[in-house]
Amino acid sequence: MEQPPRQITAIQAAATLTSTNIGVGVLALPLFTVQAANSGAPLVTLLGFLLAFVGFVPLVLLGMRFPSQSFVQYSEAIIGKWPSWIGSACVIAFFAVLTAFTSREFGEVVITAVLTRTPVEVTVIVMLLLAAISTRKDITTFAYIHHFYFPLLLVPVLLIGALSLKNADVINLLPIWGNQPTFMLEGILTTAALFEGSFVIAVVIPAMKRPDYALKANFWGMLVGGALYVMIVVATVSVFGAEETSNLLWPTLELAKATSLPANVLERLDAAFLAVWVTTVFTTLLSSYFLTVTELQKLFRQREHKMFSLFMLPFVFFIAMLPQNISQMYATIKIVGRIGLIVTIVYPTLLLVIAIIRNKRGEHADAQQMGKND
Amino acid sequence: MLSRWAKTIKLPLVILIVFPLLSGCWDRLELEERAVVLGISIDTAEPEEVQQEGAITFHSDNVSFPKKDLISVSVQIAIPGKIQLGPSENSGSGKGGTVQSVWVVKVVGYTLDDALVNLQQQISGRLFYGHLRVIVVSEAVARRGMENINDFLRRNSEVRRMAWMLISRGRAEELMKSKPQLERVPTLYLISTMDSAVRMGRFPQNYIGMFWSNMSKKGQEAFLPYVEMKKEQNIELKGLAYFRNDKMVGATRSLEMGTYMSLKGVNPAGYRGFVQIGNPPGTVTVYATSRRASVSVRIIDNVPHFQVNVFTEINVEEKFSDTFALNNSRVLEEIRKENRRQLSEAAERLIKETQRAGSDIFGFGEYLRAKRPGFWDRRVKTKERWQEMYKTVSVDVKVDSRVRRIGMKAK
Repeated sequence: MEQPPRQITAIQAAATLTSTNIGVGVLALPLFTVQAANSGAPLVTLLGFLLAFVGFVPLVLLGMRFPSQSFVQYSEAIIGKWPSWIGSACVIAFFAVLTAFTSREFGEVVITAVLTRTPVEVTVIVMLLLAAISTRKDITTFAYIHHFYFPLLLVPVLLIGALSLKNADVINLLPIWGNQPTFMLEGILTTAALFEGSFVIAVVIPAMKRPDYALKANFWGMLVGGALYVMIVVATVSVFGAEETSNLLWPTLELAKATSLPANVLERLDAAFLAVWVTTVFTTLLSSYFLTVTELQKLFRQREHKMFSLFMLPFVFFIAMLPQNISQMYATIKIVGRIGLIVTIVYPTLLLVIAIIRNKRGEHADAQQMGKND
Repeated sequence: MLSRWAKTIKLPLVILIVFPLLSGCWDRLELEERAVVLGISIDTAEPEEVQQEGAITFHSDNVSFPKKDLISVSVQIAIPGKIQLGPSENSGSGKGGTVQSVWVVKVVGYTLDDALVNLQQQISGRLFYGHLRVIVVSEAVARRGMENINDFLRRNSEVRRMAWMLISRGRAEELMKSKPQLERVPTLYLISTMDSAVRMGRFPQNYIGMFWSNMSKKGQEAFLPYVEMKKEQNIELKGLAYFRNDKMVGATRSLEMGTYMSLKGVNPAGYRGFVQIGNPPGTVTVYATSRRASVSVRIIDNVPHFQVNVFTEINVEEKFSDTFALNNSRVLEEIRKENRRQLSEAAERLIKETQRAGSDIFGFGEYLRAKRPGFWDRRVKTKERWQEMYKTVSVDVKVDSRVRRIGMKAK
C-alpha cells in the first residue's frame, strides 16, 4: 500500500482542526448552554471545551505512537483484527451519521431563516454533493481547503463578537456559575460533543511532515476553536440575557441580526454571517465525510477512497432525512453526540492504555522515511 | 471508442447537473411581486369593524374566539417607484403636498397572523416583512397583553430586531396614516423621531429586540416609548409605557424619561428642568450634559436594599429674572444642591410609582440575581416572586451633580 505524501505542516493541521470544530453547532450552542446553566453558559462552554481538549489527547498520543498508520490500521495492531474491525466500523458509522445530521441541521437553518420555499432535500443534497466531490481529492488538498478557509471563518466571528460588545451588559453574565444550574453536566457533554470533529487529527497525523508536532497542532487548533466558542456564548448571553437566549432557537443568528456595522454600512449582519457560516459548515462536513470515506477505504483495504465518496452519499442522505421535525432532529443530535463521545474519546483512550500495556509501537516516521531512501 | 462515447455522455451530464443549480432557487421573488411592509399598527377593533373579519384561517363554527378580542391591523405598504430618495423636484406638478408613497390597508383579525393572512387574501404581492421598521400598538391593545404580537414577530425570520415598537395614546392607526411634512414615508419619519430622540438623549435605546430581552428577564420588566400624534401630524414622545409581563400597566410623564435615564446612567443626557432656588430666590433652567449611575445592593433581614448613586453634570441654560446674577460659585452651588434634591425626589417618586405597579423597569431584580445569587436562588427564583418582592424593597437614590457652565452670558 502506498503511503500518502507527508506534506501537511503543523499550522495546516491546526487550521484543519479549528475549521472542523467551528461548524453548524455554533448557531444553537448558546441555547444549549443556557438551558444547562442560564447565566453560567460561558462556564459550561469552557468546561465542555476542556473536557474535549483533554479527551482528545490520548488519540493524538496514539497517532504519534503509530505515526505512519491510520486509526483503522493501528487499532488492528493493538487489539487484533476482529475486535478492532467492530470498533472501527463504529467510528465510521458514527461519522457517517454525524455528517448526515450536520447537513440536515444546515438544511433546517437555511430553509427556516433564508430560503423558506426551497425543499430541505435540495439544500441538504447540494451540501452533501459538494462535500462528496471535495472528498475525492487526497489529504493534502483536504488540508489546503481547510487552511484556505481558515481566515474566512475567524473574521466574522471576531467581528460580531467585537461589534456586539456595544450592546453587551455584564449583569447578564453574572453569576458566572449560573442561578442554580440544573443540567450542568448535560450541557458540558453537549458542548464537548460539538468538538467530536477533532477526531480528524487521526487522519491528518499520518500525512504530517513532522508527526511529533501533532500534539502542538492539536493544542492550538482546539484552543482557537474553543476560544471562539466561548466568545460566541459570552457575546450572545451578554447581549440578550440568559432568559431571552433560551427563547431563541438559533441565538447566534439572532445576534448577527441584531448587530450592525458602524456607519450604516450594513444594518444587519445576518446575511453576511450566514454566507460565511455556509463555508464553515462545508469545512465541517468535509472533515467528517473525509474521515468516513478514508477510514472505510482502510477498513476494506482498498487502494483509493474516491469510490466511497459517492457510494456513501445515498446512505448519508437517507440518514439525514430520517428526523421528522426540528425538535426530533435536535433530540437525536444530542443522543448521537453522547454516543459519539464514547466512540471518539473513550474508545481511543482504551486503545492507548492497551497499547501501553502491550507495548505496541509503530515505526518511527523518520526511520520509515530513511528505510524508503535506502 | 470508449473515450468518445464517454465524451458524448459527459456533456449532457454536466448540463443536467449545472442547469438546475444555476437557474435560481425556489425563493426567487421579483421586487414588484412583493408587497414591502414598512409599518404595522395594531388597534382594538371597533364595533362596526367586527363584521369585516374574513374567516380565512378557520371555519367559523369550530374556532371560538371572543368577539371583543378582535384586533384591527393597519399595514403600510411601500408603493414601488413612488418612494424617492433625497429631495424631489416634482412637487410643482400641480398636485401639491406629498405624493402618496405608501398604501395603508386595514384588516381585522383575531390574532396578528390571522389579520395578516386576511390581508394577504386581499393583496396580490407577497407580504414581505424584511423592511418592517415600526410597529405601533395602541394603548388599549397593550394593556390587554401583547403575548401574541411578540410571538408572531419573534417567530418570523424576516422581522428585524432593530425595529422600533411604539405604544400610542389613542388609535395607533392614525400614525400609519399620518402625512408628516419632513419625510415622504410616514414610518421613516417615526424612525427618525425615535433615532434622533436617542441621539439627543431624550430616550434610551430600546429596539424591539431589547424590549423582548427585558421582557424575558426574570428580574426586569420591559418598557416602550409612549407616543401621541399631535395636530400637525407631528409625534410627541409622552413617556415610558411600562409593562408587567406582557401587559402595559402604566405610563410615565415626559420628564420622567429623563429621570429614568439618569437612574440608568444613560448618555447623552438631553432633558431640561427648572430649578427653583431659595437664596437668592429665582428660577433657572438647567440641562444635564452627562450622567453616571451605579447600583449596589445589601441584604438586611432578608429584604434587599438598593442604593443608586447618580452623578450628573449640568449646565445652566436660562434664568428667569434679573434679580440675581450667575456670576459666582456660591449661586452655582445653590443650584447644584437644589438640583440634587429635585432629582432624587423625582427618582424616588418614579421608583415608587413603578413599585406600586410591580413593574421593575430599572432591572433592580437583575442586579440582585447577578450580585446576590444565593439570596435570589433561595428567596426569589421566579419572575412572579420578584414582581411581588419589588413592591417591598427599599431603594435609596443618592444624587450628586456639578454645575459646570453658564453659557455665553457673564451674569
